[in-house]
Amino acid sequence: MNQLFQFLIRQRIILLFILLELINVWSIFKYDDFQHVIYLNTTNRWAASLLATSREIKTYHHLGEVNAELALENSRLRQEIFKLSAIKQPESKVPYFVSSAMLNRYAPVASKVIDQSTQMSQNYLTIDKGLVDGIKPGMAVISSTGVVGKVMSCTSNLSLIVSVLHIENNVSAKLKSTGELGYIKWPGIQTEVVEMMDVSKYKKVLKGDTIVTSDYNVVFPPNIPIGIVAKVGLEKDETFHNIKVMLLTNFSTLKYVYVIKNHLLGQQLKLETSKPKPE
Amino acid sequence: MGNSFQIKWIFIVIFSLFAQVFILRDVALANVAFCFIYLWIIIKAPIHTPMIYLILAGFFIGWIVDIFYNTHGIHSLATVFIAFLRPTFFKVLTPVNGYDERSSVSLSEMKALWFFPYIFVMLLSHHLILFLVESADATLLMYSLLRAFASAILGTLVFGMLELFNQKN
Repeated sequence: MNQLFQFLIRQRIILLFILLELINVWSIFKYDDFQHVIYLNTTNRWAASLLATSREIKTYHHLGEVNAELALENSRLRQEIFKLSAIKQPESKVPYFVSSAMLNRYAPVASKVIDQSTQMSQNYLTIDKGLVDGIKPGMAVISSTGVVGKVMSCTSNLSLIVSVLHIENNVSAKLKSTGELGYIKWPGIQTEVVEMMDVSKYKKVLKGDTIVTSDYNVVFPPNIPIGIVAKVGLEKDETFHNIKVMLLTNFSTLKYVYVIKNHLLGQQLKLETSKPKPE
Repeated sequence: MGNSFQIKWIFIVIFSLFAQVFILRDVALANVAFCFIYLWIIIKAPIHTPMIYLILAGFFIGWIVDIFYNTHGIHSLATVFIAFLRPTFFKVLTPVNGYDERSSVSLSEMKALWFFPYIFVMLLSHHLILFLVESADATLLMYSLLRAFASAILGTLVFGMLELFNQKN
């Protein structure tokens, strides 16, 4: 007996080695049973929380790429929306068919804002897409929340956009609930507030109503949100409402915009200029 | 064997495990060469470390890596194996003057002709067990061998580079 103990003590290293390796081999071949007992894998609570933290740190560095991907996907979805809303039957007894040219009229291009101003009375944005990407002056620019402006000039890779926050840039607009027409003008003071002009005082305007782009707009597709009616006032001897509108687009945090390519823009402009001039 | 020595080793263990689990886990060179920096602990342990500590350390460190790699025991198996084989390698690769005055495994004390073969043999035996057991498939045999050799070469280079920071002039 004594000799056996002596042998065990002398050979303890080899015995420990064999024991540990047997534990490992057993765990490798029977890991299903073993897992259920002590969860020695990444489903372990501590391991999982550590890995989640490290994953968070890594994804933080990829936020830029993720944003760009999402902007691309959004532009694709927007195109679908334009198509679907063009296909929608208007309320008329006469059968209405929409041509494929009208269906595919609008194609959004996601682009990144690389420079912009909001403090001037005439504000512009610069974006990272240009003639090469099919962008031409006169196209509409919107953000995920509402209108931004229109393209003024392009180089091959960059474009300059006249912001809605430009005292001479008017946008044809309508009240969503009543369809009342008017236009949007920036008075040049607050970056969140614009005014809606040309709404007759005999029409009803409700606070909180949404203002969208009108159907008769050369630049913008119809029904792009612009803002919310914040204040309705009426001054004596005036024929129009004095409407203050809160813009939906937050210009100070604008990162990605969509330029709306309008394939029929040329035709439309040609028709407009062929109108006979009033004598 | 002072206090600072122990603090240094605690730091090495924590650092190498963190690097392994959070950074090197997702890194593979051409999908064949992996870097297992946690073996630094077993490879660089002082020459006269008692075997029993070395084997136990290999077991627990291997298990920690296993938990994060979802390999349920393979890393532990391979690490305990090289911890056990280490004295044998020491015997085979005897330096010219023997191990008498030397205590640490380092490039400056052991010279390149001893240091690099030692690291390569340690890494290769670890990786052979790791990849062969992991694939557990005869059809993947050549691929596993390729992975083991590529990883051992990469590991030798990485450990050699780390050793350059450890040089004492």
